[in-house]
Amino acid sequence: MIEVEDLVYEYPTARALKGVSLKVADQTITALVGPNGAGKTTLLRCLAALEDPYSGRVVINGLDTTHSPREIHAGMGYLPDFYGLYDDLTVRRCLTYAARSHGIASALTAAAVQKAAGRVGLLDRLESKAGELSRGLRQRLAIGQSIVHEPRVLLLDEPAAGLDPQARRDLSTLLTALRDGGMTLVVSSHILAELEDYCSEMIIIENGLIAGGKAIKVRDDGRPRYMIELATARSDLRDFLTAKGADVAEADQNHALIVFTRNAGARAKLLRELVTAGFDVAAFAESSKALEDAYFAQVGRRP
Amino acid sequence: MNPEFERNLWLELTTRRVLLMIGVLGLIFAAAALVGDLWTPSGAASSLFYLIVVIWGSRSAALSVVGEIRDRTWDGQRLSSLGAGTMAWGKLFGATIYNWFGGAICLALVLVNLVVHQGPVTALIELVFYVGIGVIAQAAALLASLIAIGRRQSHSRFEVFIYQMVGIVAAVLVYYMWSVADPVASLVKHQVTTDVVPWWGVAIDARIFLLASICVFAGWTLLGCYRGMRLELKMRNGPLVWLCFLVFMGVYVAGFDAFLSPDLKSWDAVALRLLLAGTTFAALTYVMVLLEPKDRVHYRWMEGQIRHGHIANALSGLQAWMMSYAAAFAIAAALSFWLLRDLQAAAVGQPLVLATMGFITRDVAIFVLMQTLPGKRRGDFAALAILFALYVLAPAILTGLQAGGLLFVFFPQLPSPNWLGVIAAWVEGLGVAGLALTRLALTDREGKAVPA
Repeated sequence: MIEVEDLVYEYPTARALKGVSLKVADQTITALVGPNGAGKTTLLRCLAALEDPYSGRVVINGLDTTHSPREIHAGMGYLPDFYGLYDDLTVRRCLTYAARSHGIASALTAAAVQKAAGRVGLLDRLESKAGELSRGLRQRLAIGQSIVHEPRVLLLDEPAAGLDPQARRDLSTLLTALRDGGMTLVVSSHILAELEDYCSEMIIIENGLIAGGKAIKVRDDGRPRYMIELATARSDLRDFLTAKGADVAEADQNHALIVFTRNAGARAKLLRELVTAGFDVAAFAESSKALEDAYFAQVGRRP
Repeated sequence: MNPEFERNLWLELTTRRVLLMIGVLGLIFAAAALVGDLWTPSGAASSLFYLIVVIWGSRSAALSVVGEIRDRTWDGQRLSSLGAGTMAWGKLFGATIYNWFGGAICLALVLVNLVVHQGPVTALIELVFYVGIGVIAQAAALLASLIAIGRRQSHSRFEVFIYQMVGIVAAVLVYYMWSVADPVASLVKHQVTTDVVPWWGVAIDARIFLLASICVFAGWTLLGCYRGMRLELKMRNGPLVWLCFLVFMGVYVAGFDAFLSPDLKSWDAVALRLLLAGTTFAALTYVMVLLEPKDRVHYRWMEGQIRHGHIANALSGLQAWMMSYAAAFAIAAALSFWLLRDLQAAAVGQPLVLATMGFITRDVAIFVLMQTLPGKRRGDFAALAILFALYVLAPAILTGLQAGGLLFVFFPQLPSPNWLGVIAAWVEGLGVAGLALTRLALTDREGKAVPA
């Protein structure tokens, strides 16, 4: 779906991307994370065919961004980190313009507008002017504009910035529904907690490079992540878990973060073996911070 | 309907604004009618057309894309599936639709007056002129804004004012050109007027010639907007259209050799036409090297393409100033050879032409070199400052020191003292060009990836 090969992007005074390669699979939600200034927005803009790479290539649905930018634009949705709306237009007209400018025929526009407004929960606001909406509703409208033409790829740059908890939950539900409906999403943020609910893959970008060289699978319903905590330190914790078939993502003498089968019997057996081997197990639970764990496992925790 | 045009209609032509325009114009026309002979309604309408369509319309056109960038809606539009032509005309005539609405009311009054007093033919000619000057002004302002966006300079009120001024200046040029053929101009505006224009040795009716010129230049300006929009929508522009524009400009300007022949009696018509075409290309070189982004990344990309044998790719990345420079160089070479047919003309003309090309090389290289400097020293203002020093300050100092004979070191001299001027020009030109290329090569950082 999305393939990036050795992408280099240069500003006149700095090289922002230094040979990025990655693949994003169909119908996934991929988190693009990293510190401010790491190159997330530049990468997203290259994926959106809004910037020309200096070298390397970006292929979206089999189309090269350098050779077929307009074809890519037609099948893409993009929400920039700082977006604008036509404040003097009603929500209906904003969505109508977005639909028509993305090539939806006049006869089909009204239905597309209704569907997009329904998806983002703005059906009761269609006649309100965009300038009269609250921040959360404006965010919904912006997302509605970017999905009204049913793009196959949706890129979102910091979509949850400034949203209240309820709006974030709504956003999470919407993005998951879009993925289930067939879209491929890439969501950029530097706040990992925002992405926990819906991202299954993660790309960490640091200083213009992909940390670890590839996307990391952070959520696998068949093999989730589990956090094990010991009351008494044991230096052989990592070796023991590895010997029992667990993939150890991170471990010290008191904690371990493992990837292990969801099968309840297998988990009970592992717990039993830990206890039998004398490990003083204080906690054994599925990690609720899969993304954060994976991030720090990759880049290392800093004091 | 064009979605971009329709969106502009929603925003610009609201009922309140339409009624406001009709009411205000109605009041002004009524006042003009009451004042009587001093200020007629049709005279007021003509002035209001320029105010609404040219001055205000240029601002509307300049803001049509810059406003989107300022309001952060431009990326969304760039990601639409609208073609460059659809987007360009949707913006140019959509963002200015309110101005054209007011202008149409004014124009209707002007045309009715012309039909009654001077007949329908004159009214039709004036209609073409009014529409042409409005389109040229607005398209020039939009084009200026698109060029500036390519240079990543586009947001401030002052910059928008500059784009508006480009449109207004274009309109003023058209207006004065048109006055040449306006019999009233000699009486009212004390201008020299003419009934015929000698072009390529043929005397053409001045009104027809100028009207055709306005239409053709309006067409080129619109084409420029279209190509600027293509770049914004990430489509690539090949060199062909600019080369066609160069050919057109060369042929168009070369046709005016009759205006030069009294001053250069020893030069024949071919030499004069080559001189005019070459001067045009040189002027376009300066204009475009100032306007176009001199992006080091792009130059490195071109160098990479050439290094890897992708010559066609490299040629597709040629900028307008490069092609204009090459055309000026070719014409200068042709002129130098042509002048050899007359040794008297060649003795003065050849060194002058060759020295001029050397200085153009130097000046263009200065613009490129200034982009390679780090930090705030970089930029076109620095290049302009250096050119000001070379063409104004240093010559003034030399003249003050009674050393005017050394001026050939700074710019072409007529009559050229000797071939020393040519040598000085080319030593400077090649020296600065070498320095610029070296700086570009030195700023290549972190590896030598094959450009896409």
